[in-house]
Amino acid sequence: METINIMLGGVGGQGLVLTTDVICKAALKAGYNVKSNDVIGLAQRGGMVWGSVRIGKEVHSPNIPVGKTDILLGLEPLEAQRWEHLINKDTKLIVNTREIHPTPSLLEKKEYPKDEIADLFERYESYISNFSADAKKFGNIKAANTVLLGVMAQFLPISTDIWKETLRENVPEKAIEVNMKAFDYGYENFKPKS
Amino acid sequence: MNNQEKIALTGNQGIARGFYEAGGLLAASYPGSPTVEILDSIKEYKEVYAEFSTSEKVALEVAIGGSFAGVRSMASMKHVGVNIAADPLMTFTQTKTNGGFVLLSGDDPGMASSQNEQDNRVLGKFANMGILVPGDAQDALDYTKAAFDISEEYHMPMMVNITSRVCHSRTPVVLGERREVEPRTFEKDVERYCMIPPHTHKLQYSMKERIEKLQELAYSSELNALEEREGADTLVVTSGLVYHNLKELDLNLSIYKLGMVYPISPKKIQELSEKYQRIIVIEELMPVIENEIKLMGVECEGKKYFSFTGELHTEDIEEGLKKAGVVQERKTTDLEPVDSVKRTPLFCAGCPHRPVFDILKKLRKRVIGDIGCYSLAMLEPFKASDSIISMGATVGITKGMTKANALVGKSEPLVSVIGDGTMFHSGLPGFVNLLHQRDENDNMTFIILDNRTTAMTGGQATAASGNYTAEDDMSVDIKTIIQSMGHDNIKEIDQFDYESAKKVITEETNKPGISFIIAKRPCALKFKIQENTFYVNPNVCIGCRNCVKTNCPPIRMKKYHNIEKLKSSIDPDMCVGCSVCAQVCPVDAIQPKGQHPDHSKKGSAKYKRQEYQKMNLNNEDSK
Repeated sequence: METINIMLGGVGGQGLVLTTDVICKAALKAGYNVKSNDVIGLAQRGGMVWGSVRIGKEVHSPNIPVGKTDILLGLEPLEAQRWEHLINKDTKLIVNTREIHPTPSLLEKKEYPKDEIADLFERYESYISNFSADAKKFGNIKAANTVLLGVMAQFLPISTDIWKETLRENVPEKAIEVNMKAFDYGYENFKPKS
Repeated sequence: MNNQEKIALTGNQGIARGFYEAGGLLAASYPGSPTVEILDSIKEYKEVYAEFSTSEKVALEVAIGGSFAGVRSMASMKHVGVNIAADPLMTFTQTKTNGGFVLLSGDDPGMASSQNEQDNRVLGKFANMGILVPGDAQDALDYTKAAFDISEEYHMPMMVNITSRVCHSRTPVVLGERREVEPRTFEKDVERYCMIPPHTHKLQYSMKERIEKLQELAYSSELNALEEREGADTLVVTSGLVYHNLKELDLNLSIYKLGMVYPISPKKIQELSEKYQRIIVIEELMPVIENEIKLMGVECEGKKYFSFTGELHTEDIEEGLKKAGVVQERKTTDLEPVDSVKRTPLFCAGCPHRPVFDILKKLRKRVIGDIGCYSLAMLEPFKASDSIISMGATVGITKGMTKANALVGKSEPLVSVIGDGTMFHSGLPGFVNLLHQRDENDNMTFIILDNRTTAMTGGQATAASGNYTAEDDMSVDIKTIIQSMGHDNIKEIDQFDYESAKKVITEETNKPGISFIIAKRPCALKFKIQENTFYVNPNVCIGCRNCVKTNCPPIRMKKYHNIEKLKSSIDPDMCVGCSVCAQVCPVDAIQPKGQHPDHSKKGSAKYKRQEYQKMNLNNEDSK
């Protein structure tokens, strides 16, 4: 198997580190080698955060080489757009369209790049939705990332049983049910257009 | 747990597990990125004594005590933490180590979350320690165990130096069992433990011998791995994550991966230099390995091809090797990030620092900042922090600037801001020092941002946290401690009562003398605000942007239906109900949900007063 490279972009506080952790654990359970990265520290206060996961037989560096991203998981649209230089024409984009405006646009110094982002989704194979709103319907807005994982799961050689087992082991007890629903919703409702 | 089962651990978790498996018994740390999760993880092990001490210096001393008493002990800290711990370290390392001792230092090439980029391998050598550098979580686990074994066998304090990327990177790890180690005893031996001149003279020689013995170990140790490629005429010497980034290129090179970067075996290097035409050293930051090899009289190259600053990614390594003529054509491409809107960190919704810095910005005061979440005040839109140097430095700097200004006939009121954690870490000696040559004309205001936690690193306790949370056991009263020093002008404020807080800060900064203001609202991440969220009535909003300028994540200008001008808006999913925006609004356009839009100003004042009383402020005995 070729190495699968997953790039994650998000905003501090969105749960990117936990999402990265769940992907790693699921991949390892499925018998693959895995390496990941994520930034934590100063960036957690509403700043940009990113992570990378590489899944394969033999993985050396946790960093994704430029242009080699297979799946770009955007927890927020601007934070997906930020990593455009890492993707290629075959990259799949899975992005939560719920906008979180950064300081320059809050202060009206820079416009939030809505058009550029919409254009990005046009140019690549994109699976987009307001996953936060979807998760809210299931009872917890924090399960948005689990919907993203559900969408992504259909493109990875990891069974849904393994994904669900991993989620059960890593989310708080009372949030398990919501996360199962969120995962199924993502898995079933965003099929590739063939 | 099945021993052969692989689990994904971060480098930090690997260190914690290594400490545990090595039979480690005592661990101390001070929270700092990138190493904070090490002690967080060690705390999970019940057999172990673990503490976040009040500073890295204290943490190191606690670990020295553990080692003296004969048990395996570790102090973990970020790179700059070793600076404050350097005083005990430099003298302790002269002693013949009793219980295994490891100093875990977390470097930050590229400065993801640090105020400088110092290479602590230099400090490790300076302190005559052996230095191990892990490249992934398995290394982190294995090397920590190895470090304890070496420490006890060679009576040598060891440094494990890990970089931020490895701290946070997750890689598969095979776990082992914990091995209980027979504790040694502390025998009275003044020559060994009392570091006074006649004793220390001899120790200079014993430290040198220790390093020489470790050089012999380095020759044969499995920590250092030689991967030879048939027909290769170039040898790369490297360590840590750089090794893995290099492997990504799959080049026709031999690689000598150093697990122990200091000391290096001269015999091994000599042998290798006879076998290979070229030796190229690839390492992040300073030319530490390169210089060691050159000191052995062996020719090698390194920093002339690779950057002295930042991380060395696979792309950087390939580019450097191309410059060296080892790679003919690049396979990888360089990063060319898209020029998108930047997202700098900002105060959280409900952050108690927001009103303080909004007030300071409006008062246009010079603010001497410090290390913590409140460092963010230097950014737009507050720009209310004019210097950030190191933990606790604001206090001395504020005094020094005030005295210097007076000498040259200038008078400028200065404001110093410091968090509770930073104050306990190293602000208190500065506070005492203010009493020395006190001049009534000096105008200094010290604002203590007592948010009851070490917020930036994830909410670890401070020495005052026990006043508020049952699980924390240190309950130092900040006001009492400052009062007992002899400072008499101390005010407490609830910064969520914006006008009252502004009045106190204005008065104190305008009058000469030394003032202390304790801002008592807690961190919004650790102590959730349970209030109604707020909303903007666009028909009342005049578009003045007072609320927007507090830079709260949910607040921005928006186009409303049927309203021509942009009006403010609050995202209800992100608002936590702190009420600060409502209080800076001049027309009461911002109201708590459920309240009628035309609710009088009195109504919101009442809401505030209730909160104010909850804070239990005590200003009676202050002047």
